[in-house]
Amino acid sequence: MVFNSYTFIVFFIVILILHNLPFSWKTKKVNLLIASYIFYAAWNPPFILLLWMATIIDFFVGRALYTQPNKHKRHLLLVLSLCGNLGMLCFFKYGGFLLENFTHLVNAIGFNYHPAKPNIILPAGISFYTFTTLCYTIDMYKRRSKPVKSMLDFSLFVTFFPHLVAGPIVRPPQLVPQFETPHKATQQQLIQGLLLMSLGLFLKVVLADSMLAGTANDVFNSKDSLATLDAWMGVLAFSGQIFCDFAGYSTCAIGVASCLGFILPENFLYPYAAIGFSDFWRRWHITLSAWLRDYLYIPLGGNRKGRLRTYTNLMITMLLGGLWHGASWTFVVWGALHGFYLWIEKLIQDFKKMKMKPQVQTVIPAPVIAQGFMAPRFLKKVQSSNFLLALLTFFMINVTWVFFRASDFTSAWRMLTSMFSHVNNGKVLLGTLSIIKVSVIIVGIVIFHWFMRNTRVVTVANKLPWWLLGFIWAVMLLLLILSQESTSSFIYFQF
Amino acid sequence: MQTKNLLKAGALCLVIVASSLISWEMYLRSKGLKISYDDDESLWANKRDMVYEPADKATVFIGSSRNKYDLDIPTWERLTGDHAVQLASVGSTPLPVLDDLANDKNFKGKLVVDVTEVLFFSTTPRNNQTPNKNLAWYKKRTPAQRFSFQVNHLLESQIVFLDKNYFSLNALLGRFKISNRPGVIMPPDFPYDFGRVTYDRQNYMTARFVADTNLQNKVKGIWDFIRKMTKDPPLSGQKLDSLLNTVKNDVDKIKARGGQVLFVRTPSSGPFLMGENMGYPRAKYWDRILSVTNCPGIYFADYPAIAHFQCPEFSHLKPADAIVFTQNLVDIIQKEKGWTFPNKPELTKQ
Repeated sequence: MVFNSYTFIVFFIVILILHNLPFSWKTKKVNLLIASYIFYAAWNPPFILLLWMATIIDFFVGRALYTQPNKHKRHLLLVLSLCGNLGMLCFFKYGGFLLENFTHLVNAIGFNYHPAKPNIILPAGISFYTFTTLCYTIDMYKRRSKPVKSMLDFSLFVTFFPHLVAGPIVRPPQLVPQFETPHKATQQQLIQGLLLMSLGLFLKVVLADSMLAGTANDVFNSKDSLATLDAWMGVLAFSGQIFCDFAGYSTCAIGVASCLGFILPENFLYPYAAIGFSDFWRRWHITLSAWLRDYLYIPLGGNRKGRLRTYTNLMITMLLGGLWHGASWTFVVWGALHGFYLWIEKLIQDFKKMKMKPQVQTVIPAPVIAQGFMAPRFLKKVQSSNFLLALLTFFMINVTWVFFRASDFTSAWRMLTSMFSHVNNGKVLLGTLSIIKVSVIIVGIVIFHWFMRNTRVVTVANKLPWWLLGFIWAVMLLLLILSQESTSSFIYFQF
Repeated sequence: MQTKNLLKAGALCLVIVASSLISWEMYLRSKGLKISYDDDESLWANKRDMVYEPADKATVFIGSSRNKYDLDIPTWERLTGDHAVQLASVGSTPLPVLDDLANDKNFKGKLVVDVTEVLFFSTTPRNNQTPNKNLAWYKKRTPAQRFSFQVNHLLESQIVFLDKNYFSLNALLGRFKISNRPGVIMPPDFPYDFGRVTYDRQNYMTARFVADTNLQNKVKGIWDFIRKMTKDPPLSGQKLDSLLNTVKNDVDKIKARGGQVLFVRTPSSGPFLMGENMGYPRAKYWDRILSVTNCPGIYFADYPAIAHFQCPEFSHLKPADAIVFTQNLVDIIQKEKGWTFPNKPELTKQ
């Protein structure tokens, strides 16, 4: 089920009541586990078997990986776990894509091979829970943390419904200890959780679905070359939509967990105020980029094996990151573009570093480092120029969204042509109201992100006068109810 | 301190939300507005579930908006004792739904197909959009979506402002009539009083619409706009043959399972009817569909009792006429087309 549905509201009220009744902690955990299975089964009940399979295999394989003294056996167990998890992901998510590319390849070399198109249904959230279980077995293999003692705790770690289908992607040490001792939300956690849920739903339902999705869909579904204004408005609308959709989900997930007394990691930190692309990836889908860094980039050698390997590793990570989002070459190009941006940024960074080497200790004042700690050093000089750099980053990110959203390369190319050149007789598609809506929301998002970039929404909420917070909260809820968009799925469910 | 402030903020939020929504609802009710249902894919899917009722207990209706306006469901059900399952969709061809029913081995019932020529004899993708969307939703509905529909129904039955077409945030913003750049084509903006929808998916015009010629003229203007936008000529030649062949195959499948199919040409009037007669001559379209499918048909102009209607906006019947039309339709179907309704109430049995 989705957070933005009546079903979820009823479900959540029941869970909240059950979690606050005087049951034993074990009973409450069983309740949460059953609820999580119901949450998942509400999409497609048979797929719950996959979840059970992944849970059982990784629980036992993980424990064996940690305790097994024989190196070869440990390797074998790791391979077994990787094959199980990635095999499942490959079959359901990439099966059709692989077959299609294989067919193209053999046809290109002269074989007449035309298999039937496979009809594989993608289980919701498979990419997310596969990464969750994978990081557990890899951690066990590397003995980074101790195996989870209880099957119940492990099952709940994998299945806990707030993060199950679209993250944040959690690591065992972030969540399992929370299941080991009784957790119930304090009054403050409960209200903050409700506030975050309202904010998340406002982002998803009001901004993403009601205000931006229509424009993005109209523009990206158009088969004609568009006027430059329309093309840009479509891309900006998608840029806002994908942020509000996904950040909205993560915010809801964190809010739901908070209402139950649990803490989930942050997944978004105002990414459209990022200064540079490494900063962007520290702010966008944080738990995925951290996962890719820790379980792909660093094992590949990271930046420890020379400049060439660093650049190669960076690109491999971004390409696979792109492919993680969807079984299509457009996602790979999206990842490649980000990899390319990161290359350029690193090149400039290395060049600046070389040039400034003798002065670097004395030039940068400490407060600036503290303020822009996540940005590359060369980008940390002046606040106002930083804003321009953030705008430049945002502009470049928008170009990548074209490949993320377009259904194929023809559409993507048509869109880029419309954006960057004057198309004779380009179709004028969007009404003035749509243009106003997109412009106001996108400018609002960028400014909001800029002012919030070094703080958190809960911190700001706690500082606001109660009447102002109450008023803002009410406006969000009113717009949420009035928008009357209640059932659409989150974009990231398909990934 | 923080907790206390958050509590106060939460309480204030609830007071503002509750008072605003109650005021909004009271305001709309004071204007005389009534409950109307969002005629979306979930409501359609809910009705689609009902086609498996036994053939002697239900009749399924497919087609376009004329079926939805002209068939008065309470009258039909009162006279026949039969459940009317309305699966027609506004501005759409019935062919995707006909195909779906034909390929559903469990459907063996009675089917009435509305023929609005400009939509029926068309291969324009736009005319398939709504039926295909409805069918996709019906086939992929999750248990959670089914439950949400039931909760939504409870709320929608009680609250006037839950009317997505007219009172959603986007609809309210759309009331600011901001002029567009030349060349921008906006979807038609039908008046509130033209498109009210019941839970059975029957459309109706309000009394205000029936009385107000300005509103009627606005809809007539929309028909004219759509006519100008429609660039495809009436289907003919091989394309028409192919379409008729598809219809025949679908109809044959239903009949082979014991189902019954009847075509109906519902009334239109004025310039709209003239245009339809010119673009889609009866012999070339209506007569052919009956001969190709070997099905019975009712063409409104053939029956004096239903040939005289003047549609307020040329294309759909007003509620009072829909009742008369339905009464006569039931009568003709029984007397001339041989359909029987075993469950019809005693008083109406003839």
